[in-house]
Amino acid sequence: MIDSKDNSQLLRKRSFVLGGLKTLFTLIVFGKLYHLQILDKLKYGKLSDLNRIKVKILYPERGIIYDLYNNPIALNKADFQLNIFREKVDLINDYISSLSNVIKFSEQDLADLKENIKNKDLSDFIIMKKNLDWSQLERFELISNNFPFLIINQERARSYKNNFIFSHVIGYVGYRKDLKDKKLNNLKFGISGIEKLFDKKLLGKDGWIKLETNSKGRIKKELNKKISIPGENLKTNLIAPIQEYAYSLFKDINGAVVMIDCENGGVNCLLSTPSFNNNEFSDGVTAEKWKLLVNDESKPLLNRCIAGLYAPGSTFKLITALYVLEHLNFNPNTKYFCSGFTEFGDRNFHCWKEEGHGLIDLKDAIKKSCDCYFYNLAKLIDVDSLSEFSKNFSLGVSTRIDIPNELIGIMPNRKWKKKNKGERWQKGETLITVIGQGFMLATPLQITNMTATLASGKKIKPKILYSPDNIFENTEVSMKNLAFVRNAMYSVVNEYEGTAYSSRISGKYKLVGKTGTSQVRKISKEERELGVLKNEEIVYKLRDHSIFTGFAPHNNPKFAITVIAEHMGSGSKVAAPIAKKVMKFSLKNFLKKQ
Amino acid sequence: MNEIFLKLKNLNWLYFFLVSFLSFVGIVMIYSATSAMEMNVFFNHITKVFFGLIIMIIVSLIDMDFWKKNAFYFYLIFLILLVWASFYGHIGKGSRRWIEISGFYFQPSEFMKIFIILSLAKFFDEKKIKDPSDYFFLVLPILIVLLPVGLILRQPDLGTAAIILFICFLIFFIAGLSWKFFASIGFVMLMIAPYLWSLLKNYQKQRILTLFNPENDPLGSGYHIIQSQIAIGSGGVFGKGWMKGTQSHLDFLPEKHTDFIFSMLGEEFGFLGTLSVVGLIIVITSITYNIANKFNRDFFNRVLAYGLISNFFFAAMINMSMVIGLLPVVGLPLPLVSYGGSSMITYFIGFGLILSMDRKLKTNY
Repeated sequence: MIDSKDNSQLLRKRSFVLGGLKTLFTLIVFGKLYHLQILDKLKYGKLSDLNRIKVKILYPERGIIYDLYNNPIALNKADFQLNIFREKVDLINDYISSLSNVIKFSEQDLADLKENIKNKDLSDFIIMKKNLDWSQLERFELISNNFPFLIINQERARSYKNNFIFSHVIGYVGYRKDLKDKKLNNLKFGISGIEKLFDKKLLGKDGWIKLETNSKGRIKKELNKKISIPGENLKTNLIAPIQEYAYSLFKDINGAVVMIDCENGGVNCLLSTPSFNNNEFSDGVTAEKWKLLVNDESKPLLNRCIAGLYAPGSTFKLITALYVLEHLNFNPNTKYFCSGFTEFGDRNFHCWKEEGHGLIDLKDAIKKSCDCYFYNLAKLIDVDSLSEFSKNFSLGVSTRIDIPNELIGIMPNRKWKKKNKGERWQKGETLITVIGQGFMLATPLQITNMTATLASGKKIKPKILYSPDNIFENTEVSMKNLAFVRNAMYSVVNEYEGTAYSSRISGKYKLVGKTGTSQVRKISKEERELGVLKNEEIVYKLRDHSIFTGFAPHNNPKFAITVIAEHMGSGSKVAAPIAKKVMKFSLKNFLKKQ
Repeated sequence: MNEIFLKLKNLNWLYFFLVSFLSFVGIVMIYSATSAMEMNVFFNHITKVFFGLIIMIIVSLIDMDFWKKNAFYFYLIFLILLVWASFYGHIGKGSRRWIEISGFYFQPSEFMKIFIILSLAKFFDEKKIKDPSDYFFLVLPILIVLLPVGLILRQPDLGTAAIILFICFLIFFIAGLSWKFFASIGFVMLMIAPYLWSLLKNYQKQRILTLFNPENDPLGSGYHIIQSQIAIGSGGVFGKGWMKGTQSHLDFLPEKHTDFIFSMLGEEFGFLGTLSVVGLIIVITSITYNIANKFNRDFFNRVLAYGLISNFFFAAMINMSMVIGLLPVVGLPLPLVSYGGSSMITYFIGFGLILSMDRKLKTNY
C-alpha cells in the first residue's frame, strides 16, 4: 500500500524528472539557435541576400548618329522585354503555353530564348522575349499577377529614322556570338557601316543594378547600382534631307548618288539603291530573308557608292584633257575632224555620234563628248603616265574615306595588264582608256572625289564623320588648266549643244559637269554594220549605265555630285536630270546654311 | 467589492507582469508582421490580447475550489461543443474545427485542453493511485483523454490531438503511474506505428520526412523550414532591426504572423531576442514550478499546475523546434506571441488558474 506521503514523494520525484526533460529540451533548442544565429550567421546571411537581391545588367544606350544639321539618323527606341528570374527557369515552358493568347512566341523567339537560357552571365534574369508591342504590354499588365517572377523591362534599342535610305552608310547592329564577356550577350554591336566602324565610341559602358525582390518575384526597390554610360553621339557630314530627296528620285532605279563638300571633303550624300531595311536587320533578320537578299541579282546589300565598280565613261575625258594640257603642253585650240570614227591600226574606233562632230576643238570635244577627238589625243598619250596622273584624282587609288570596304577599281597601265591579263599593252587599248572605257573601273565615290578635286584644286579626302576643320593641300595641277576644264564642264551643262544642256539650272548658281555612258558590253563589228541597237532594244543586264558628275555653284564650288543610274542608257538622259534636281535642292536649302 | 479588492491585492503581480510582457513581445512582433496587411489585423490582435488579460484576471479571482468542484461539468460542456464543432462546425485550414458565435470563431478543441487537464487533476486527486498496477482504475482517465482526442482527430487536427496526448501522458506520469504502464503503451504504439503512418495524409508524411532532409525538396514542404532557418540564422546576434527583416517583409517567410512569428523575432532581434524569449518562458515555468511545489500534498492543485505549465512550455518549445527545423511543421502557434486566436485565450485561462492557485497559497497557508 502506498500512503499519501509516499504519493507526494513520488510526485516530487516525477516532477523532478519532468523538470529535467524540460531543461534538456531547452538546451537542445538553445543549441540549435546558437548554431543558426552565431555559428552559421554568415551562411544564412548570404542565403537571405541571395533570396532577395537580384542583379541585372544595365545596358548602355547606344550613341545617336546625327547628320550635319543635327537631324538624328540613327536613334534609339524603347524596347519592352519580358524577363523571368533565372532561378525560375523551370516555369518557362508553363508560362509560354499559358501566355500564348497574350504573347505569342515565334520559332525565332524560342531559339533566342534557348540561347539566353544557355548563356549564364551575371544577370539573375533571362530575357524571354524582346520587342513587345503596346497591345501585348497592356494585356499582360492585366494578368501579370498570375505570373510571378515575370517582369517587364524597358531597354533602349537601335532604331533608324528611315528603313532603307541610310542602310549602307550607317549600317546596322546585331548580337555577336563570339564574345568573351558573356554579360554583353544581349547587347547589340555594330555589324556594318558607321555602326561597325565607330562601334567603340557608340557602344558606351555597361553597368549593373541590385534589386530587392520579394518571394513573389516582384521588385520592391533598388539597392544600389553602377549606372551604364551611354555611348558617344556622332555627328556626320551627311545631310539627311539631300539623301532622302535623292532616294525619292531613285524609284525603280538601281545606282548611286554621292555628294561631297568641295570645301571640307564632307560626304553629304552616300546613297546606294536598291537598299535593305536596316531596322529589320537590327531587330534580327530571319535566315530566309537574309538568303533572299544575298542571292538577289540586284545586290541590295552592296554599297554601290564605295564598292560598286563602273567604267567612268566620258566623265574620264576631263582627266584626259587635263593631262594633255598639263603634261603634253597641248594647245586646246587644236582641231581634229570627227567623221564618226577614227582608224587606228586595222580597227575603226567609233564616236557615239554616228554622223560625226566635224571639225572640233578640245572644249567642244568635252562639251559634245566627242570620242574621236580623244582617240586622236590618245595617239599622243603614254598610258602609264596617264595612269599615274589619274591618281591625283583618286582614280585607281583609295579615296581614303573614313569608312571601310572601299574598292579602288582599276586605272590600267602596262604593268597592270601584264600582271592581270598576262599580255602586253596594246596601243589601241589606250584609245578606249582615254574615254573611260575598257579596263578602267571606278566607284561613284572615286568619280565624285575626282570632280571635287577638279572643282577645288585641292586633294580632297572624303569624310563621313564630321570634324570642324579640314585643310587640304593643293594639287600640283596649274590653275589655268583647271580653269579650262571647269569652263568646258560649264559648257556641257549650260551651253546649247552641251550633252547636259537640258539639265541646266537657271539662276545665279550654275551646275557644271560631264555626262558619261558606262558601257556594259562591247559593240561588235557586225552590229555596228547593222546599226547599233538602242539601249531599250537590248536586255536590261546589258544596257549601258547612265553617269553624270558635276559640281555647283560653278564659280565657287560647294557640292560635287555623281549620279549613276544602272542600265539607264546615256548620261544625259537619266543621270544628269537627277543630278540637276538633287543639286537644285541642295543649293536652295543648304548652300548658305551653316 | 471589498473582497475583490482584497483578492486583487493578493494577486502575484510579478507573474502577471511576466505573462503580459510575453504577450507584449507578441504585439511588437505582430505589428511588424502585419505591417503590409490591413491595420485592423493588428488591432484585432490587440483586442484579443486585452480580452485575454481580462479573462486571466477574472479566472484568477475565482477560487480554486470552484474549478475543482465543477471540473467535470466544464469538461462535459466543452465535449458537447467539440462534438458540435467536429460534425457541424466551420471548416478552415482543411479541417472542421470552428464554431461561429455572432461573427467570432472559436475552437472548442483549444479550450478542451484546459478542461482535460482540470478533469485529470481532479480525478487523480480524488482517486489516489493505490496500486500502480491496477489497470482497471485507469479506464476512466483514459476515456477522458481519448474521447476528445478521437473527435479532434476526426476534424482532422493532428497537431492538437498529438499535443493533448503528449500533455496527458505527462500528467499520467506526474500522477505516479507505474513505469510498466508507459512501457506497455510504448510497446503498443510501436506495434501500431506502421498502421498510424498509413493513416496519415500524404502532406503530413511529407512534413515529417522533409524534417530529416529539407534540402531534398526546397520548393515543396521543405521550403518553409529552409526559409525559416534562413530568417533566424541571418538575424545573427543583434538581428536586422525591428520592421527590417528581409525574409519576413519580402514574404520569403511563410505564416509569419502565426506559426512562424518566432523566426521573424529571430531575424529582427537576433540571438539576443530569441534568447530573451526562451529565458522569459523558462522564468515563467520556473515560478510556476515553485508555486506547484508549495502545494505539497494538495494533489489537485499540484498536478493541475504541472499540467498547465507543461501545456504552455511544450507548446512554446515545440513551436520553436518546428521553426528551427528540429520537429516537423504541425501547425502550432507560439503561446501568447503568435497572432491571437482561441489558443491564446486558452493560455490566458491557464495562467489565470495558476494565479488563482498562488492566491490560494497566500490566503490559506
